Amino acid sequence: MLQLRDGRFNPELKAVVVEASLALARLDADRLEELALSCQALNRDLSAWSGQERAEMARESRELTGEMAIFERVVEATRANLDVMSRLRQLHDGQREYGGSPRLRTSRRGPWGPTGDSDGNH
Amino acid sequence: MGTISSAFHLISGALNADQAALSIVANNVANANTTGYTEEKPNWQENSPVCINGVYNGTGVTETGATSVRDRVLLERLDQQQQLAAASTSRLSALNTIQALFMPDSGSASATAGDIGSDITSFFNSFSSLEANPTNNAMRQEVLSAATTLAGDISNAADGLNAQRMAVDQEAAGVIPQVNALTGAIAQLNAQIQSTSPDGDAGVLEDQRQQDLSQLSQLIGVNQISTENNGLSITTTSGQTLVSEGSNNPITSGMVNGVTHFFVGTTDITGQLASAGGSLGGYLTARDQDIPGVLASLDQLSYGIATAVNAQNNAGIDLNGIGGTGVNPLNPPLNIFNQPAAVAGSAAAMTVTMADPNRIAAAGPAGGAGDNSNAATLAGLSNSATVNGKSPTDFYSNFVTMLGAAVAEVQTENTAQNASVTQLQNQNNSLSAVNLNDEAAAMQQLERSYQAASQVFTILNTIMTSALNLGVQTAVT
Repeated sequence: MLQLRDGRFNPELKAVVVEASLALARLDADRLEELALSCQALNRDLSAWSGQERAEMARESRELTGEMAIFERVVEATRANLDVMSRLRQLHDGQREYGGSPRLRTSRRGPWGPTGDSDGNH
Repeated sequence: MGTISSAFHLISGALNADQAALSIVANNVANANTTGYTEEKPNWQENSPVCINGVYNGTGVTETGATSVRDRVLLERLDQQQQLAAASTSRLSALNTIQALFMPDSGSASATAGDIGSDITSFFNSFSSLEANPTNNAMRQEVLSAATTLAGDISNAADGLNAQRMAVDQEAAGVIPQVNALTGAIAQLNAQIQSTSPDGDAGVLEDQRQQDLSQLSQLIGVNQISTENNGLSITTTSGQTLVSEGSNNPITSGMVNGVTHFFVGTTDITGQLASAGGSLGGYLTARDQDIPGVLASLDQLSYGIATAVNAQNNAGIDLNGIGGTGVNPLNPPLNIFNQPAAVAGSAAAMTVTMADPNRIAAAGPAGGAGDNSNAATLAGLSNSATVNGKSPTDFYSNFVTMLGAAVAEVQTENTAQNASVTQLQNQNNSLSAVNLNDEAAAMQQLERSYQAASQVFTILNTIMTSALNLGVQTAVT
């Protein structure tokens, strides 16, 4: 996919976008970070490209609309999921079972340890 | 209470608690590969402190049962996303079948529908050929032959769409027994959960209920409402109750205007279900919106062509020297196609009614037997705005493009929704399944992935914009 040609990246943009969508669906953060670095390098390199290479990139870009639309939607869905999870995280501070009774204490304290405020010592 | 006996009591209680906790952990390990199993964690309850020689001491803990590590908000979000994904999957399946009807040379039984574009061209070209030789019988036969092919392909396409609509209707009707079985099972589980575990997590029973809910979400769009004593009510997204604690309201079906409608009690909920999600929502959207929309376009095309061609042929003189109704209203009409009374249904009914090629009015009203002026006008209809303000060819081309765009749009939605479901399943597995990942790690993974993906998206957008600009400036032929 991302190949070096004459010391320069020669990516199939479509493959990059498709892989990014799949990696995001799988929450493969490592792969996404690799792809981000690759894209940064590609972006830096773009100004040095020849006319033919630019034209090829333009052609690929024109064919990429559908894949980018999918990627954008997956990013949007991830944003929504992240919002939900963030709210959940806040709620978890209190209890995990919203519909049932408050979660019972899961303290790992041993039976011999000093007792705290709730133990009736104060 | 004596000190030594208290100590033994504490030791004994702790050992019992550890033993119970151990059995819960063992159960988790044993069910690590069980689908839908939710990890359980032991609940510890502090015993009342005791006073020994004036000092209050804790008396350890007692294991009071297990609580499953489930998160109803996350699960509900997952169910909602599954409803959307299932709806777009079933709708996409129907749209792909529709689109296949209009693919040229698709090889299917209805392949001829895909040739409508070339049929339109051939039909109007046949008038151009007639224009060059207006008395030639072969040219006249060719006009009728091309008209027959065009009408046959349009009506075949309409028949194919109607057949597809009935097939989707059957799929939709087939969903209901599954829905009723699941709501019945959930109601039963509700009753069991409420009687056995009104104050806490019911473990396996809740796992089963969640699995049934997940399956239900793939079939129809529902809302979940937690009720007292660990109960659960389920409604359609528009509020019709399907499950109320221990009882369920089955959905019934019946035929209305030739298609299946769905009821809760006496209330028709078909329209609500169509927009609610689940595979049923997708089927109903395809049945009641997509397919009728495509049929309506086909009707407009056939109505526009038939009406314009018939009117123009009636404005000329046929080879027998007889004018059409446009020349003399008392004359019998010189209709090439059956004249549709209304737009709706005209595609399915489109046929060629003219059998005698001599009745094609190639001559204008003032022309003689060799006149070709009306044939020229008929040929020119190919470029006239006869179908909803567009030429027949442009209208059909636009229709096929719009259909393709609709399919692509639903495909995009479907891919994104399935990705979202996959993400949420990963999150839920991290939280509920038996593994070593904890919630914080799962959250971090989600945040990292989102940030990296956002970066990839932004850079790719920049690259594309730059590339397109550069490409325009330095286009290489």
